[in-house]
Amino acid sequence: MVRPYGVKGKKRKKNREVYDKEEEVHEEIEVGVDDEEENVAKRSKAEEDEDEAKAQQVADELSGIPIGPLDQDDKKNGVIFILERASLEVAKVGKTYQLLNSDEHANFLKRNNKNPADYRPDIAHQAMLMILDSTLNKAGKLRALYVRTEKGVLFEVKPHVRIPRTYKRFSGIILQLLQKLSISAVGKREKLLRVIKNPVTQYLPVNSRRIGFSHSSEKLVDIGDYVNAVSNDVNLVFVLGAMAHGKIEKEFVDDFISISAYPLSAAYCISKITNALERKWKIL
Amino acid sequence: MVKILKATNSNRKDDDSKKKKKKNSKLQPDSIAMKKVKATKSNPFETIWSRRKFDVLGKKRKGEERRLGLARSLAIQKRTKTLLKDYEQSGKSSVFVDRRIGEQTEGLPEFDKAIMRSQRERQLKLGKKSKYNLSDGEDEDEFEESGLGSFQEKDDFEDDVPFEDDEDKELGESEKRSAILKHLSGHGGRGSSETGLAEVEENRRKTKKEVMDELISKSKYFKAQKAKDKEENVEFLEQLDNNFTSMVNSEALLALTDPTKINALKALVNKSTSDSSGKFDVLSSVPKTVSLQQEKPDSYDKLVNEMVLDRRARPSNRTKTPEEIAQEEKERLEQLEEERQKRMHAADDSSDEDVDGSRNEDASRRRLTSISGDDLGDSFTADDETNTKLGWINGMLEKHADEVESEEGTSSEGLESDGEDDEETGDDDDDGDSDEDFKKTSSLKDWEQSDDDKFDTDLEVEGGRTGDEENSVDDDDEDDEEDHVLEGFKKSKAVEQKQKNLSDHDNVKAVPKPLNQVEDLPYTIEAPKSLEELSLLLKDRSESQIVEAIRRIRTFNAISVAAENRKKMQVFYGVLLQYFSVTANTKPLNYKLLNLLVEPLMKMSTEIPYFSAICARQRLLRTRTQFVEDIKESGRLCWPSLKTLFLLRLWSMIFPCSDFRHVVMTPAILLMCEYLMRCPIVSGRDMAIGSFLCSMVLSVTKQSQKFCPEAIIFVQTLLVAALDEKSGAYHDSQLYHLMELKAPKPLLCIQGSLNKIHPLDFLSILDLPEDSPYFSSDEFRASILVAVIETLLGYINVYEGFNSFPEIFLPLSKVLHKLAGQMHVPSELQTKLQDVAELIEKKADEHHTLRRPLEMRKEKPVPIKLLNPKFEENFVKGRDYDPDRDRAEGKKLRKRVNQEHKGAARELRKDNYFLSQVKDKEKMRLEEERAEKYGKARAFLQEQEHAFKSGQLGKGKGKKRRR
Repeated sequence: MVRPYGVKGKKRKKNREVYDKEEEVHEEIEVGVDDEEENVAKRSKAEEDEDEAKAQQVADELSGIPIGPLDQDDKKNGVIFILERASLEVAKVGKTYQLLNSDEHANFLKRNNKNPADYRPDIAHQAMLMILDSTLNKAGKLRALYVRTEKGVLFEVKPHVRIPRTYKRFSGIILQLLQKLSISAVGKREKLLRVIKNPVTQYLPVNSRRIGFSHSSEKLVDIGDYVNAVSNDVNLVFVLGAMAHGKIEKEFVDDFISISAYPLSAAYCISKITNALERKWKIL
Repeated sequence: MVKILKATNSNRKDDDSKKKKKKNSKLQPDSIAMKKVKATKSNPFETIWSRRKFDVLGKKRKGEERRLGLARSLAIQKRTKTLLKDYEQSGKSSVFVDRRIGEQTEGLPEFDKAIMRSQRERQLKLGKKSKYNLSDGEDEDEFEESGLGSFQEKDDFEDDVPFEDDEDKELGESEKRSAILKHLSGHGGRGSSETGLAEVEENRRKTKKEVMDELISKSKYFKAQKAKDKEENVEFLEQLDNNFTSMVNSEALLALTDPTKINALKALVNKSTSDSSGKFDVLSSVPKTVSLQQEKPDSYDKLVNEMVLDRRARPSNRTKTPEEIAQEEKERLEQLEEERQKRMHAADDSSDEDVDGSRNEDASRRRLTSISGDDLGDSFTADDETNTKLGWINGMLEKHADEVESEEGTSSEGLESDGEDDEETGDDDDDGDSDEDFKKTSSLKDWEQSDDDKFDTDLEVEGGRTGDEENSVDDDDEDDEEDHVLEGFKKSKAVEQKQKNLSDHDNVKAVPKPLNQVEDLPYTIEAPKSLEELSLLLKDRSESQIVEAIRRIRTFNAISVAAENRKKMQVFYGVLLQYFSVTANTKPLNYKLLNLLVEPLMKMSTEIPYFSAICARQRLLRTRTQFVEDIKESGRLCWPSLKTLFLLRLWSMIFPCSDFRHVVMTPAILLMCEYLMRCPIVSGRDMAIGSFLCSMVLSVTKQSQKFCPEAIIFVQTLLVAALDEKSGAYHDSQLYHLMELKAPKPLLCIQGSLNKIHPLDFLSILDLPEDSPYFSSDEFRASILVAVIETLLGYINVYEGFNSFPEIFLPLSKVLHKLAGQMHVPSELQTKLQDVAELIEKKADEHHTLRRPLEMRKEKPVPIKLLNPKFEENFVKGRDYDPDRDRAEGKKLRKRVNQEHKGAARELRKDNYFLSQVKDKEKMRLEEERAEKYGKARAFLQEQEHAFKSGQLGKGKGKKRRR
């Protein structure tokens, strides 16, 4: 008999936490240096190098001037995004498994009596990029990102993942995730993406406010005002749909709002939300 | 056997059942089918299929679906067959093995088993071994149980043996037999079917054999055919050969073919009788080609012959080294000198050939100039003399614009000469650069070699001499000796002027005169050791001649020619420098000569850089001490003399100004700045010199962008001096207090209105006496203001990149505004002032906008560390993406082992479960049995007791009673 899943999961979690705490302190410096080098090597963008050099120069110039106090952001509150009904589906096309999308697999989908218009993994891709690229995330305010596919597979995306920018690579990573159920980091054992058990509510923190978004909602609000009204010690959970048509279920949602009179794309909606939050928390 | 049967309960049962089956088989043929139906009573759990948990589009469902219940029941069945039997056997010491025919194969009906057995029986019987065996009867008894009666007849019939013997081969026999069998068939279907089988077997065997035979015969036939063909071919070939030999021998062929080949052919034929024909062909072809080659003349041979006649490339002369070139030049000069000497004597003989000689001389000179094209000093010959002091203007102005690129920018000769000079300098630089490295290294080495013993003394000698001379020059400008020299020079100048004029009018006439006066310039000149020698040499010579003389000295004593020339040249350099300074101090300034002297001086200093630097430093040092002494006694003239100015300018041209630190230029700049800083401005002349120094500083600092606050303060002072406010006019500048002596009064304030501004003529101003009325004229003031503003503009352009630009220049812009608003300022000057002021403000604004207010340093927020996910391009589930193959293999194997291990454990677990179930069942059964027995015994005892108690004895009564 195999070990029951629950036991395994708990054990790993425990391990990981310990690992993190131990390592974080005395590996910080080394890793930091390494990472920087790696980054430089990998990006090899002249601009960034220059920027860094300039920043360094400025810092050197101003060495006599005392450093202003860094505003300590309280780590109490954070933001969680949930992308519902993302159309990420793997199918065996020909001899290989592929992530279905409307462009490449229109014929295949028609043959299988599916509507090609429903298969839009690019929406999920854009939305994920929007979330992970935001300064909100850079400032460490993003707690987690959960994606639930149309078929009900729920996976967690760590905030510090660098999601591939191109669709092709994205489809590769999702393909592997949905078959292998987890994706680890390069050169590390840490799992960056992981398929987890439903329902998503078990992963949400206790004092969280779950906000669903839909154009169909009657409650049309200004997202800036809405976000400002929420007190700072509440975790915000935003539930958005990453599908082409339809709307999300409002089972576990506390509030169901619409933030524009027009129907918005998922990516733009996310950018509106993140902008509002950045303004609220003065993240530049 | 009975014992065993008894011992194993279940086995017995099985056997029993089998026996029953066997027995039943004949009685009830359809009983098996009945049983089967009974066995497949439906287990409802077996209909359950495995559920598909996650549907993947396009994935085949083949392997996924299973009937779980069915699999389980099948596994149980399998266990009952294997494990259960083993278990039952486990306690036994012996085994009952059923070796009956057909008993091993499962699923065979009882009837078929019986058939198999009977077949076997017959086969055994029909075997050859048992041919002569008489049947026991017992055997047949069993076999022929069923049809006993009919076989009685057959027994008689079958007596003849051959029937059985031949039945395999003879068809007829078999037919016969079949007929007989047919006859027999009436007794039972079984017999007929058996024979039918045998028949089929027979047929098949026969055909096989036949086929094989056929094959063999066929192959044999083909082989024979082949052998035959081969033989025929050989025969035919032989025949052909014979024919050919006969033909060759005959006359007919001889007539037709080449006579040369005949012999070969014949020889071949003789051979060919023994040899093969193929070889003959080859051999015959070879001599044929050879003969052809002999006949034709070969084109290749021709080519080869031609190549022999071809000319080969010859080595050219090797490129000459600089030393060799110098040597050649020297030799050429010597030769020329000899010729000149000859000519000179000839001229003495006949006076009317003077003109010719001079012409010759002229011609030779012209030739010389044309030959030595690289020496650009020659371009300053007769033609250039015409445009001497025409454009002695814009001296200051042009300086700002093109000081750096043209060495003659200050001189501001005519445009044409300017252009030429530019070229010159360019060429000089090139030459210098190309030669410099080499020369520098060599010279430096030499210096270092002679460093220990010679260097100091040499220097001291040189320095002392030059110093002495210098001192004499410097201490009192008009020294006696110098006076003498100077006068001499003046004379020569005058002569020159005359000569020039004459030459302008007509060359031919003019030439003889100086020839009579001055001796012709020798071609080989030893380097002069002192100033006297040099001045003697150059006395009363024209400028071009002086230049030519210097050139010849340099060529004749070139360092690259002889090692001791270095010393000579060093001495000569010192002398020449002295000559330069003396010339600069002469009152009617021969500016052109100075300009001409610059070029050889520069070249020489590139040849002896170390020495030239030392010379310059010595001079600077002395000038500085002089200056310090002068300034101590206030009231004395402390502004630099014209000579110092020219020397400074010369050095700024010789040495690189843009170096961060330079042995000559750094002290030179410092000295200039000190002049600007410390000298009091008393007269207009001071202002002129100061502004000249300012522009020189600008030219020096232009490239390196060194900041010289002294120059800017001086400019500012001059501008302030132009303001008409009387006292406390200006104290805004932060650097103002650094100025030791400020302009006490508004010297430059323009009082009257002025129509036109003339550009400043610097040299003429310097020639003027100190208290000349020109210095207090408005004209002078305006022109010096213009010059100052131009200089200021230059500074603005140079320093515009400085962060402190607004602080440096904004005070100046205020002054400029004030100045522009003043009365009497000419409009031209006014616009200029305003333009400059606006430029300053514009640039200052630019700088101000770029500045940031001072604020606390902000620590950069550190973004979260991003990690790249690891994934494969084409992921295939189940493939190991480990780059280390061994590890991947190991992993795979380990996984396999684990899997197997798990499987085995699972099987064992299930086995155990099954066995425990069986044991439980057994236990239950035993328990039941025991309970039953116990119950029976108990009942019996109870009955007995009851009977006993009731007084009744025996059962019979009881029964009776019961009944």
